[in-house]
Amino acid sequence: MSKWVLLGIRSGTKTTRYPSHTESAAGISPGRPKDTLMADKNAQALIRDLCPTGALNPKNDRIAVDYRRCISCRRCARGASTLVDWEESWEWASLSAPDLNASSALGSPFSQSLHIRVLDAGACRACLSEIEQLGKPYYNIHRLGFFMTPTPRHADVLLVAGPVADNMRLPLEKAYDAMPTPKRVVAVGACALSGGVFGPSFTSYGSLKNVIPVDVEIPGCPPPPLAIIHGLLVLTGRRPPAESGATSFLDRRSGT
Amino acid sequence: MNQSHIARPTRKDLMDGICSRWPGMEANTRIEEDGSALITCDIATLRELCEWLFCENNYAFATLIVEDEEADWLFRYIFYGDAEVGVVHVCMKQPKSNTVAPSISAGVHAADWHEREVEDLFGISFEGHPRLGDFVLHEEWPEGVNPMKKDFDASKPYMHRQVDPEWRPLRILEAQGAFMMPIGPVYSDYAEACQFFLETVGEDVVRTTPRIFYKFRGVEKLAENQPVERVLLMAERFSGASAFAHSLAFCRAVEKISGLEPPPRGQVLRVLFAELERLRHHVGAIAGICGSTALAVATSQASILEEELLRLSCIMSGHRYLFGVNRPGGISIDVTSDQCKMLGDSVRSIASDLKNLFDMLRLSSSFLDRIEEVGIVSTENALSYGLVGPVARGSGIARDLRNILPYGPYKSQIACQTALETEGDGYARLRVLFREAEESANIICRLSSELPPGDVASPEFRLKAGQALGWVEAPLGAAFHWVSIGEEGAVKRYRVTPPSFMNWHGFHLAAENFAFQDFPIVMATFGLSNAECDR
Amino acid sequence: MIDVSMLLFLFMATCAVGAALAVVLPDRMNLVVQTVVGIVASAIALAASGAVLLLGLSFDINLWRLPGLGPISLHMDRISALFVFVTALVYLPISLFSVEYMEKYVGRYSIKFFGFFSHLLFASIVLTLAAGDVASFLFAWELMTILSYLLVTYEHREEEVTSAGYLLLSMSEVGTFAAALGLLIIAGSADNLSFSALRNASSGIGEAARWGVFLLTFFGFGVKAGLIPGSSWLPRAHPAAPANCSAVLSGVILNLGIYGIVRVNADLLPASHASQGIVALIVGSLSALIGILYATIDNDMKRMLAHSSIENMGIITACLGAGFVFLASGQSALAGIAFVVAFYHTVNHSLYKALLFLGAGAVDSKVGGRNMNRFGGLIKRMPWTSAWFLIGALSIAALPPFNGFVTEWLTLQTLLQSAVLSAKGLKIAFALCGAMLALTAALAVTCFVKAYGMSFLGMPRSKAAESAAEAKSPTIVSMAMLAALCFIFGITPTYVIPVIDGAVSPVVHQSVTDELVPPFFSGNKTKNPKFSDAFMAEFHDLGAQVGSSVLPGRGLVVLHQGTARNPVIFAMSTSYTFVVLAILIIGSVLVIRLLFRNRVVLRKPVWDGGIRRLFPEMTYTATGFSNPVRVIFEAIFRPSMSENTRETISGHFRTAIRNGREETYVVDRALVNPLIRSSQWLAGLIGLIHSARVNAYAGYVLLTLLAFLVIQTLI
Repeated sequence: MSKWVLLGIRSGTKTTRYPSHTESAAGISPGRPKDTLMADKNAQALIRDLCPTGALNPKNDRIAVDYRRCISCRRCARGASTLVDWEESWEWASLSAPDLNASSALGSPFSQSLHIRVLDAGACRACLSEIEQLGKPYYNIHRLGFFMTPTPRHADVLLVAGPVADNMRLPLEKAYDAMPTPKRVVAVGACALSGGVFGPSFTSYGSLKNVIPVDVEIPGCPPPPLAIIHGLLVLTGRRPPAESGATSFLDRRSGT
Repeated sequence: MNQSHIARPTRKDLMDGICSRWPGMEANTRIEEDGSALITCDIATLRELCEWLFCENNYAFATLIVEDEEADWLFRYIFYGDAEVGVVHVCMKQPKSNTVAPSISAGVHAADWHEREVEDLFGISFEGHPRLGDFVLHEEWPEGVNPMKKDFDASKPYMHRQVDPEWRPLRILEAQGAFMMPIGPVYSDYAEACQFFLETVGEDVVRTTPRIFYKFRGVEKLAENQPVERVLLMAERFSGASAFAHSLAFCRAVEKISGLEPPPRGQVLRVLFAELERLRHHVGAIAGICGSTALAVATSQASILEEELLRLSCIMSGHRYLFGVNRPGGISIDVTSDQCKMLGDSVRSIASDLKNLFDMLRLSSSFLDRIEEVGIVSTENALSYGLVGPVARGSGIARDLRNILPYGPYKSQIACQTALETEGDGYARLRVLFREAEESANIICRLSSELPPGDVASPEFRLKAGQALGWVEAPLGAAFHWVSIGEEGAVKRYRVTPPSFMNWHGFHLAAENFAFQDFPIVMATFGLSNAECDR
Repeated sequence: MIDVSMLLFLFMATCAVGAALAVVLPDRMNLVVQTVVGIVASAIALAASGAVLLLGLSFDINLWRLPGLGPISLHMDRISALFVFVTALVYLPISLFSVEYMEKYVGRYSIKFFGFFSHLLFASIVLTLAAGDVASFLFAWELMTILSYLLVTYEHREEEVTSAGYLLLSMSEVGTFAAALGLLIIAGSADNLSFSALRNASSGIGEAARWGVFLLTFFGFGVKAGLIPGSSWLPRAHPAAPANCSAVLSGVILNLGIYGIVRVNADLLPASHASQGIVALIVGSLSALIGILYATIDNDMKRMLAHSSIENMGIITACLGAGFVFLASGQSALAGIAFVVAFYHTVNHSLYKALLFLGAGAVDSKVGGRNMNRFGGLIKRMPWTSAWFLIGALSIAALPPFNGFVTEWLTLQTLLQSAVLSAKGLKIAFALCGAMLALTAALAVTCFVKAYGMSFLGMPRSKAAESAAEAKSPTIVSMAMLAALCFIFGITPTYVIPVIDGAVSPVVHQSVTDELVPPFFSGNKTKNPKFSDAFMAEFHDLGAQVGSSVLPGRGLVVLHQGTARNPVIFAMSTSYTFVVLAILIIGSVLVIRLLFRNRVVLRKPVWDGGIRRLFPEMTYTATGFSNPVRVIFEAIFRPSMSENTRETISGHFRTAIRNGREETYVVDRALVNPLIRSSQWLAGLIGLIHSARVNAYAGYVLLTLLAFLVIQTLI
């Protein structure tokens, strides 16, 4: 047994130090398109056709990006058709209804100790794989006080990925129902936010909002592990959400 | 080198065999330009012909495709093997009014789940199949509603909500006091949604019945009447962990229809990325196996390598899971020589770490105790269930599409060793994973220094109408994509048979008569994906 | 003044009247009348035996003087009174239970028959216990055996019932024969057949004869008590009999076997050799272990209770064995303690076993069937039955503050007292048997957790269980009575022990009350010659006097005192435990209510992994629960795989996997089956002379004649 211990010690520490320090390694995030000034005003139709899920909205002279729909296919930002600027970021999580903030934060008892139930509502396994990386040495959410639990009875947060396949609707509702209050829901990935490529159809509900109330949304396809960590930090009020412009939770009274 | 010492059966052998068994069939058999055989047969000879191909000629069963035409049902059974005539299509036609077809599952057991899927989605019942129903569509869908039929509108949610009150799970164990433990579909920390019924009398689990299609997103139906670019997205994303492989199979099918060949650089880069994905997938599977046996340090070591490979993929292609790289005609990004050098160095170091890990695991008796002799799948069972991929290669079936039906650079430039083990237990599958990972790393290192110059993609081309089969050796095994493009350039029929679908069929073989505590280990050594299987 | 003989005469008259009425009345009224008569008769018997036991009145009647047999007398000393008391105590609720239970037999079998024979059975049991001489004892014993056989085979149209009855009858007869032989050996050295004469004759019996008497009576009466090797009839007879008869069988008739053993080997001809006690100890411990093992794996509720009766009889016998050893080694105080414990356990066993059988009967009549795999969820549908059954299960699993705990604790403590014995072999035997009994106690908990949990908790596993209804008041009241008695006998051991001691002290010639129940519960520390001042003071300071003003008399604590060589003291108080438990539970409830009165409690269905509906076949079964025990002790069970087929169609489609396992009874395997085989072989050998040739038969006649002539001349 000792050789394993020695191997572990020799490997050193690989864990990222986010959020206390910024992470700058290469390959941690695929990035995403950002609000861009339109170079050619006549390319509106082209821009709309280019994006397969309709995430790009040319309006006036800007191209606005609906992150809920972006699936990282990069057809808008590659080669000859580089119409949109790209940002290498990962702090993408936002609150689903910015005006309901005060009640969204779980409160200080949970900010350093959170139990998460991961629920696969038809996800393609990329989102699930990124969620799995959270417990692995590079990201290790245990250091932040976040734990995965196999039963919703012990869970505070339901982390859902996937376009809510029809057969998973009842298990999803039962899991949500089985969680004791206070409980929150985090939707991970484009499929859970807008249905992604599989969209609302005869066998998918598309957006998770159609089935259970959602508190935090993490866009991306898949969102990298750091984005998911950011989402959990937003949920517990330890980091400000993206694009909301609201003041951080730290000076808000926490409630349940 | 996979030089089979047995002589490969020739085209003449196949034709002679058909003529001698079914005189008069010669007229219905023809060899296509790409070397595959197309046999048209009628209902009476279907079963015998398929069994002859499967049992006596050692062809493997790839997929069953049913198409809903105006006046007929078209059945296409595809077999493949290590013969000169690699792929054999057996086609059959039936008028629309006749919704009963003969079942070939008795002889070709690999077709079992294909027939059940067709029955649920098309409403065609297979005579002689003892267990149709409750497969893709669960107990809420009423009888008579079949989504894959042309007259079903796929865009709107289907308001069916009519739970069958009589539905009970199927019980196979008959013993005093026998009961079944239900697991899932929501279970464990990170598991995908799938349900299991473990039947037991209290000590060992006697029988496991998985219930899949909880993640059914209807990709085949959603693809109908969509442009190729959109279907490419679906092909890529229904299984994110093997996205590149499936998108590659789809692109190959489209390219075959349009008679297109990507340029050499594009082809080599495709292989590079495919092997990178395979390496990352296998390292993830190894981490899963170590995690299931609770050997924490080994799990962490493998997970470190997995994350490094994900970051490497992101650096090379802009996406950690290689989404958006493939397109018909080639790939959509290019790499610089610096990137190639960095890739080669990183993969070399990862490969050597992996080898260290393997050497340590081999000597760790407490670890081996848990995966040796656990979840054994015998060779005959693996053959008759049509298992593919590392699972099959761990049970003595030397089938790797890169060798049997080579595509792209695998035809001449790259020779792959087929990793073969015969015990069929968890340790055998683990060894296969390690050897294939090592093989992938070697290929990457070699190719990254030997990239031919030139374009990475063909110039824009026009889509033609037609149909073709594209295949690829995905990380989990052989994947087959059948694409049929209509006159307007939209996809008419899209059929995917992922490797997980074939292997989930055989999962219960490994999960019989075992102690309940070994269940996560059996699951981990199979390493199957529900997203891939459920489409 | 209470005239015991008048009461007993009244009792006999009641039984006779009841029997007569049972023959003439129509069915519905018959049931009610039977119940009333049973209750009245029990009450009278209680009064009579209570008078002898508690008040010390004696009862001695010489009935007749028969030529050749001697005086026929009835004599009730305290031992008999104790057993009659227990009998009546148990018979009362059983009679009350019968009024609803027997309704299911109306129209199918004869109620008149049942009433007639059950009243006669009660009378014969009391007669057996009150017999004062060998002849009346044997006569009443035979009567009792035959009547119990008739009642066990009440459902005489079922084949397994009749075969169980035959086995019961034949094994009882063998046992009776052996016991009778033993009694007659003693009688051979006595003036007449009365028990007092036998008692006086004990001095004139040699060593070998003593051993003969011991073995014959121990194993002979042991058949009736259900000890191995004579226990094969018990697991078959109990499921065959109606539930109220099973309760009588287990709660009353098995005690008669113990009574027989005690009467002969402690009273008439006290055990003289420590090895005799060791035999009893080992047989008792083995019976206990085997009994509980088979009980744990059995899914038939009544057969499980039958095996559990074997276990409890084993415990009683082990205690008796310890008593014999102490008696033979001159440790009369410890012998007295051991006998007190054995009798106490007899009482307790009768109470909780009757309760459990009545519970099983109630469930059987409401749900139908005895297979625990098909029950489940009855706590919602039969809440009272389930509550009383729970108390029975807690008692038999020896959990405080119920009566099983008291005697289980005392048994193990008694066995630990082997330190006073000098011979190493004795100590080793005690240690091993103590270990076996400890294992038995643990398995008993498993067994009854399974019995209660699988029958009453969880989901109903069959349609019948889903639609079960609660039993009516007579049934519930009868079970409540027994449950209350279990509880009372559990928290008042300090009052029960002196009463039992009254029965034991004539046998060991000293009173052991003081050994067991500390006598220092009065305001001033009384001086007692048995205990040193320092000891008294220490125990007093420990708080043993708490509650002395509340409860008069002997107080709250049972004490097992060490010896000079082993001065450790063990004390137990179920009353204190009960009070503390009550305070803690009620207190916790109040505190929680107070602290969290603003919290809202949401009740949601159990989390099942997201499955649509949890079916009953997805919950644990009784077989599954006890499977680990089955696997661990496979060497004892030697299960045979009766069916292990895998059915497939078309090659790979598995349609059914059939597994079947049959456990064989170890006593049958080791003893009864070889006996049967060898006797059949012998019979076959003897059958060879049936050659069916007339010449051969003529030859036999000639040979026999010649043999007689030869013998004649020789004598």
